[in-house]
Amino acid sequence: MIDFKPVIFVNGILLIILAAAMGIPALADSVSGDPDWRVFAVSAMVSMFIGAAMTLGAQPASHRPLSTRQAFLLTAMAWFLLSGFAALPFIFSGLDLSVADGVFEAASGFTTTGSTVIVGLDDAPRGILLWRALLNWLGGLGIIVMAVAIMPILRIGGMQLFKMESSDKTDKVKPRIAQVAASIGLVYVTFTTVSAVALWASGMTVFEAVCHAFAALGTGGFSTSDQSLAKWGAPTQWVAIGAMLLGGMPFALFITPWKHRQWPFLKDSQIRWFLNFVAFFALVLAFWQWAYNDMEPGDALTHATFNVVSVVTTTGFASTDYNAWGGFAQAVFFILLFIGGCTGSTAGGVKIFRWEVMFKLAGVHLKRLLYPRGIFVVAFNDRRLPQSVLDSVLGFVTVFFLTFAVFALGLTMAGMDLISAITGSAQALSNVGPGLGPIIGPAGNYKSVPEAAKWIMAFEMILGRLELFTVIVLFTRSFWRE
Amino acid sequence: MIDFRPVLQIVGVILCLLAASMVVPAAADLIAGNDEWQVFLISTFVTAVAGLGLVLGAQSEFRTLSVRQTYLATALGWLAPCLFAALPLMFGPAHLSAVDAVFEATSGLTTTGSTVIAGLQTMPPGLLLWRALLNWMGGIGVIVMAVAVLPTLNIGGMQVFRLQGSSAGDRAVRRSARVGATILGVYVSLSAALALALWLAGMPRFDALVHAMSTISTGGFGTTDTSLGAFNSGAIDMIACVGMVLGGIPYLLFPQIAKGRWRTIIGDQQVRWYLGLMALGALAVVLWLMIERGLDPLAALRHGTFTVVSVMTGTGLVTIDYSDWTGLPAAVLFFLTFVGGCAGSATAGIKVFRLNLLFANARVQLHQLLRPHGVEIPSFNHKPISEEILQSAMGFLFVYVLGFAVLSMLLGFLGLDFLTAISGAAAAISNLGPGLGEAIGPGATFAPLPDLAKLLLAAGMLFGRLEMFVLLVLFVPNFWKQ
Repeated sequence: MIDFKPVIFVNGILLIILAAAMGIPALADSVSGDPDWRVFAVSAMVSMFIGAAMTLGAQPASHRPLSTRQAFLLTAMAWFLLSGFAALPFIFSGLDLSVADGVFEAASGFTTTGSTVIVGLDDAPRGILLWRALLNWLGGLGIIVMAVAIMPILRIGGMQLFKMESSDKTDKVKPRIAQVAASIGLVYVTFTTVSAVALWASGMTVFEAVCHAFAALGTGGFSTSDQSLAKWGAPTQWVAIGAMLLGGMPFALFITPWKHRQWPFLKDSQIRWFLNFVAFFALVLAFWQWAYNDMEPGDALTHATFNVVSVVTTTGFASTDYNAWGGFAQAVFFILLFIGGCTGSTAGGVKIFRWEVMFKLAGVHLKRLLYPRGIFVVAFNDRRLPQSVLDSVLGFVTVFFLTFAVFALGLTMAGMDLISAITGSAQALSNVGPGLGPIIGPAGNYKSVPEAAKWIMAFEMILGRLELFTVIVLFTRSFWRE
Repeated sequence: MIDFRPVLQIVGVILCLLAASMVVPAAADLIAGNDEWQVFLISTFVTAVAGLGLVLGAQSEFRTLSVRQTYLATALGWLAPCLFAALPLMFGPAHLSAVDAVFEATSGLTTTGSTVIAGLQTMPPGLLLWRALLNWMGGIGVIVMAVAVLPTLNIGGMQVFRLQGSSAGDRAVRRSARVGATILGVYVSLSAALALALWLAGMPRFDALVHAMSTISTGGFGTTDTSLGAFNSGAIDMIACVGMVLGGIPYLLFPQIAKGRWRTIIGDQQVRWYLGLMALGALAVVLWLMIERGLDPLAALRHGTFTVVSVMTGTGLVTIDYSDWTGLPAAVLFFLTFVGGCAGSATAGIKVFRLNLLFANARVQLHQLLRPHGVEIPSFNHKPISEEILQSAMGFLFVYVLGFAVLSMLLGFLGLDFLTAISGAAAAISNLGPGLGEAIGPGATFAPLPDLAKLLLAAGMLFGRLEMFVLLVLFVPNFWKQ
């Protein structure tokens, strides 16, 4: 039997942190005189109470390290539980969201997806706007910590490659989390501050700048306006591009010390692929916009870069309705939905690292066809990839596309049309935000989507955020046996 | 340097066969009293001259083909017939442009079944017979290639189908002959049985022959614009349905049935998944037709099953116009397009066995999350899957998806709308035939597309038909160096 106590204990602590975070929008609302502050205060109290009960009631007997099973359970439970509690302020606020809408919005925020069901953001109370941005930001922080400290040890989808050096020899999830989280958290806070200041300098109000910095660094994509970033000009959009790019890069590399007189950051092949990929598609789309849709060259470059970066980093801001750019742009954006940022960032999706591995595997296959007896090696960052990593990457990609297909079918069953269902499933699994088509496209909103589809997508977002296997493993029989 | 002579000689033999087959529609037209027989005869003459020229001019003392020669022979062996088969279409009564004719011929030989000809009812029998013959010859060519050539070349995990006693790549030719004879026997008898059954079910003799040829090869060229819908007979639909299902089963299993070994075919993992996926898809579509469209159960069963089978096997025969189906059935058809039939049959697509392999690996990966030190090996048909095979399958899948992505982006770049671009790309690469949407859906023709789009689609068909890598390997610079 699994000992649930540590699992519940840690989740209780996380819930208390969430409750504390609710204090911030409560404060913002009460300063601006909005009655919604009570909703936040009550939600905070409820979360705090339950969190405290869990912490006190399930105090673990000893300080034994977590087993693998406990780590899986803890991670999966944390995201579901926090998404549920984060929905409270939405459901009881003046916006009058239904339970499905509230949970959808919270899950979307927490998984840094950024799909929204709220219309009229420009007039929404500040507390709600801040809460949405905060969810993005906390979710982003959570995912980095998870990607750096937990996933590699659980060996999810080839992530064992990103194990920190010192944890190589142990299977137990040791609380190095605290140490790593502290330094990465510092980087995260610094970037956020810098982005907020830059956004403010480029023409946003202080409040807007803070909200957007939160949403950009978390690659979440919640905005304070229904038009998203289209409300502001090119300078703001370029600052946001920078912030999103930072959010899509592996944070662990920012804290890696200089070695041999060079910063490993600049040599990392994942970052190179990421930047080249983004630059390529930004230029192609800019060309398309200029040549086919007669956009001014400067505007074309800004909008193409902004939206490509937004989708590839799985942020989901929009600077214009790219759904109206024609068949080519739609096909490109559809494919970009699957790419995702770097491993160890706040971005979702399949992730560049895995695409790189797949690409190299295809290359090896091609070479093997010519030289059937040759021996070829797949390398990443000049290191040979062990067989086990390759196999788990393959497993991950297979399951990713399988899940995408199954959920797309589920969404059509809930009554969505083909394009909305396919892109909706892809965006939820990759935590992007907007899909394609008139309903859920960059100019659309998830409000009109059927209730059942909202539940399906909310679940799919968490599934994608937890890199699939963390959740799926809970559904295997052998997990609960023993 | 590669010795081109044996390659050219093989291509010459293939062209001679093609020339010989052109006599059949010539005879049909002569009997029916059409002047078009002259066109076929002249085309025969031109093709025969080219073929004989190659055979005689490139004579060499070769015994076995090297790996490179095999690739080249396979690629050219498809490319050259596609061009020569276009001759009668260009100068015949359909008055096709060169691009249209090449598109139609490629579509026929790759058993795709996309057409640019409208008003098939009014076309002379010679032309209709020629299109069906292209399907039929393409079908047998594919099966022989998939059974005898591709496994020895190790394309995309096909090496699991290598027969015992043949491991070296240079025995391809000898095995082709032996295995080819068996398969040809099965293929001819199935076609004959199917034609007989269709005739007994009430189809005119000529139509029965044409449809039998295009059904068993999963090609899908018919004799009317509305395909099988024109006959409006449940019995005919069911017979064609069975024919398509048989067309998607590995042909090497048929001799086993003849020997009474039913267990081998039922126990075959690939066949079970193939039939299972088909049944699931059919169930969903049938239910949708009953509930959403209010069809009575029998009609829903007939049209739902037929459409799912037709799309999954990549045939493209149509009994009911499904272009207005939205949501669930559209998504089911979209995904099944990619799946395709079994390896070693006339169908294209990713093929069921690759899904088997990848799914087996994903399962193993899932189990290993809990038992990091356990050793588990994925298996297919009770045989362990080696690393190399697994990686080949994944490399194939990646290139397949990449090919689809690039093709749909290019089609979009030519101005096609999103749905036309992605469904057209999928239909071409999977050798299906009709796409989704207004422009290229069932009942419509590809004629209005821009010429460049037609050429791209034709190239996509060839890429899909030759399992991507046979063509791709020719573009590796090392292929041409020694």
